Amino acid sequence: MPGPRRRSPTGAGDDHVHALIQGVILGVLTAGVYALMASGQTLIFGIMRVVNMAQGAMVILGAYLSYQMFTSLGVDPFLAIPVTTAVMFGVGVGVQLLFLRPLHAEDKSQLSVLVTFAVALLVEGLMSVTWNTTDRGINTGYVNASWTVFGYQITLVRLWAFLLSLAALALLYLVLNRTRFGRAVRASVQNPESARLLGVESERVAAIGYGLGTATAAAAGSVYGMLYPFNPGSHYDLISRLLSIVLLGGLGSIGGAVVGALVISVSSSIVAAAVSPIWSQMTFFVVLLLVLLIRPRGLFGTTVRGAI
Amino acid sequence: MKPRLAVGPLRAIVFFAVLWSLPVFNLAHWAMNMLVFTLMFAVMSSAWNLLGGFAGYPSLGHVAFFGIGAYAEVLWFHHHGITTGYEPFWLLPLIGIGVAVIGLPVAALAMRTRADVFAIVTITLLFVVQTLAYNLRGVTGGAQGAAIAAAPFPAATYERPFYDVLLVLLAVAMGLTWASMRSKVGLSLAAVRADEDKAAGIGVRVQTVKLLAFCVSVGLTGMVGAMWAYYEGFIYPQFAVDPLITVAIVLMTFLGGRATLWGPIIGAFILELAQQYFAYSLGGSQFYLIAYALVFLIVMLVLPRGILPSIQDRIRQRRRRRAVDAT
Amino acid sequence: MKTDNRLWTLGLAVTAAATLVAGCASGGGGTPGGASGPLVIGASVSLTGDFSDSGKAIQRGYQLWANMVNAKGGILGRQVKLTIVDDASSPTQVVTNYQNLINKDHVDLTFGPFSTLLTIPASQVAKRYGYAFLAPAGGGPAVFQLNLNNFFFVQPAPTIQSGNVFVNYLLSLPADQRPKTAAYAELDDPFSAPLAENIRQKLEAAGVHTVYKQVYPSETMDLSPVMGAIAALHPDLVVGGTQNEDAYDQVKSLVQLKYSPKFMFQSNGANSPLEFPDKVGAANTEGIMAPADWYPGSTAAGSAEFTAAYIKAYGGTAQSVDDSSAEAYAVGQLVSAVAAKTGKIDNATIISTLHSNTWPTLLGNLSWSANGAPAGEFNLVQWQKGTLLLVYPTSIAHARPEAPKPNWGG
Repeated sequence: MPGPRRRSPTGAGDDHVHALIQGVILGVLTAGVYALMASGQTLIFGIMRVVNMAQGAMVILGAYLSYQMFTSLGVDPFLAIPVTTAVMFGVGVGVQLLFLRPLHAEDKSQLSVLVTFAVALLVEGLMSVTWNTTDRGINTGYVNASWTVFGYQITLVRLWAFLLSLAALALLYLVLNRTRFGRAVRASVQNPESARLLGVESERVAAIGYGLGTATAAAAGSVYGMLYPFNPGSHYDLISRLLSIVLLGGLGSIGGAVVGALVISVSSSIVAAAVSPIWSQMTFFVVLLLVLLIRPRGLFGTTVRGAI
Repeated sequence: MKPRLAVGPLRAIVFFAVLWSLPVFNLAHWAMNMLVFTLMFAVMSSAWNLLGGFAGYPSLGHVAFFGIGAYAEVLWFHHHGITTGYEPFWLLPLIGIGVAVIGLPVAALAMRTRADVFAIVTITLLFVVQTLAYNLRGVTGGAQGAAIAAAPFPAATYERPFYDVLLVLLAVAMGLTWASMRSKVGLSLAAVRADEDKAAGIGVRVQTVKLLAFCVSVGLTGMVGAMWAYYEGFIYPQFAVDPLITVAIVLMTFLGGRATLWGPIIGAFILELAQQYFAYSLGGSQFYLIAYALVFLIVMLVLPRGILPSIQDRIRQRRRRRAVDAT
Repeated sequence: MKTDNRLWTLGLAVTAAATLVAGCASGGGGTPGGASGPLVIGASVSLTGDFSDSGKAIQRGYQLWANMVNAKGGILGRQVKLTIVDDASSPTQVVTNYQNLINKDHVDLTFGPFSTLLTIPASQVAKRYGYAFLAPAGGGPAVFQLNLNNFFFVQPAPTIQSGNVFVNYLLSLPADQRPKTAAYAELDDPFSAPLAENIRQKLEAAGVHTVYKQVYPSETMDLSPVMGAIAALHPDLVVGGTQNEDAYDQVKSLVQLKYSPKFMFQSNGANSPLEFPDKVGAANTEGIMAPADWYPGSTAAGSAEFTAAYIKAYGGTAQSVDDSSAEAYAVGQLVSAVAAKTGKIDNATIISTLHSNTWPTLLGNLSWSANGAPAGEFNLVQWQKGTLLLVYPTSIAHARPEAPKPNWGG
């Protein structure tokens, strides 16, 4: 017997509108996760003037850690987040100390991109060896659950993901605005030299900042693993999207990253629904192109000498 | 200075003479095959060096133009036949110019940004071209890939024509590099590399020279892409525009020494021969990616200037010490 | 300056000498195994990289066959020795590998890699040197367009025709029980989309109306827009041209959308005995159909022996045997068969002999046309109560097909 059917309330023409609105909903829900990933990346740039090409790989690593905890220990990915974030914070600090700190100032901006890219490859290689290259997904019991609200489908997992991302971003906001460390970070972002003069230990800020950026990637990764299948090579897709988001929002601006994520995620979702899924990835690139042509420093970025 | 000038070209002549004559010794096919791939990377690294080394603009998206060259070659021969087998080679200069022309507007846009943002833009370009290769299915065949007729060369000397053409390309690339090093263009590039704003301030034709470096660089890369397509016989989007190729050529140039003539060549020979050999004999494992990344990191942290400049530095230091000791 | 030059010339001389020595040493000398000595078979397989799971399954299949054959005295008295190298799922490396296998190691025979992407350049290298190329995987249409007479795709039919058996099944139903409308969700890769398109063309010709068709790229993260559009149109039949992950995604999406079509066919993913129920939920698999060449419980030639040997060597159950291993094993079966029939085992013999007659393997009876395209059909399997069962063609079916597909959750 065929299952119960969902009837579209009005005629066929409204199917397009329906699909569009469903696309917007999907886009908004997904934007949360992207915003979280992008905010980490833009934070790292703000503090260290380093474009972290490894951000995508860190997200995937976070996803794998959650996956492992889920499959061997049965821990729900949402509950695993405190653990994975803590671990990845350590990884981030380690990466910064090992690979970024030794870079000499003259070549730094050129080399940091390449170095972080190499770190991404290293992480990809390690993940392939540990978990090999089959696609994985974190399939919790509730992964198929969904609500239908006014005829629009809202998947439970996506909703939780969105709420979690909001919570994490709020936490990040609190850290940056209410703690001493946060003030030091903001000072370094605004004016590194003055900050140093005022006693901010830029080295420590840099290391912790990178760790923080990686930690947000890990949190996003746990969630990401529940939404999409992933394998070690998935970081390429991710990094290309993140870069567009971060440039749109303006390098160094976390608020910009959030807005950018929203704009791009919704646009690409609409394109997927209205045109074809094949072109939804292009949305990211088209937006990037427009940003470069019209306003290279992005929506909320400041002109950073030597970068743009 | 005088003795140096004479030695340079002599070195090049000897190098090419040796390479040219190698096939005569009836080298095994597998060795020729490895050399073909090595030469491809040598040309590409040399080309990348013009932009990433001399001009100081590290592009992470060169393979996009490699892919454009590859598809151009394949698509051309969907409508034209291959009879003698040399037509694809005659098409190369056309492809080189075509890709360079395509590169012009891209360069104009991309080179408004510097250093790290430039890298972001070029990487995005890579993904754009790859996505287009997938999506424009009517043109490129999309994920199904595209075929080019197999070269009708006799099996015994199959690799020889590819090898010879690549030698020519390498000579062209090195020639261009050498010429620019000795000319005003090279000086301008060095100025741009050091401090672009100041260079513009003192009247260096910054925009022209940047665009020139970009277009020549990608034109050469496109030609190698076309050659590769002909050699493989069948191309797919994910391999024609593969980020790992970009990583390889960047690494080779860094390893050998940026902004030097021979650096990229040395880097290419060392890395590509090693990689092909180890992948085959050690039965490979995903460790190759880890090894790549580690070599990359080590080179950048320990030997950021590359092999050649480091050796030259050490020789100079020793000479200076000897001169000081002598007094 | 002087030191500079001396270093240089030395370096150059050393490199040139090394290349010469290496090249010459293997250039002229080294004869193949000859009519006696071990039968060396070379294959480049994806042990790492994107195709590594199937690549390793293929390696297991080859190895299993070699061990079994050697235990019975080898081929024509010669022990089989496998030389398997890794191509890291890269077409550049696969060319180098077969070059090396053929021209440096001088293997007697070559077996194929995994995936159409790699099979094409590899088979051309083999053709150049007169080697037969038996490929357990890589049956996309482009391969056959090359018209290589040395190439044999060791599966019942070219991959894009693996849906024919499903079409045949549908058309065998009385007209009032067939689906009237169909929707197609196709993955953009060398076979999934062409396979689904093949089905679509045949069904449209038979009067099944296409209400929706969408091709999605392989890195599509979210199939819910596509499946949502499909669900809104209520087609009787949903055809998925899929690989693995997207097959699971399609089903999960439809479950979330609470839409269950009367018929559902997926070209891949749904035929994984263990993965599929694990990923979509065992209760949701009921009634979904897929094509299969080998499947657990098959009674084709050599299947029982293969299954027993596989379990003994690698553990698990019949359900966990990867069909890529079966395909690789079939490649070996063909070599044994040619040797038994002709008493010879050189490449020219293999090429000419395989082009005539039908050959029994654990994938069924195989035969080929001039360009290496197999001339048979796949089997249709369906999930019933948590097991994959052969339901069509009726003459060899193990169970009756279940139609229409029950609602999600069994």
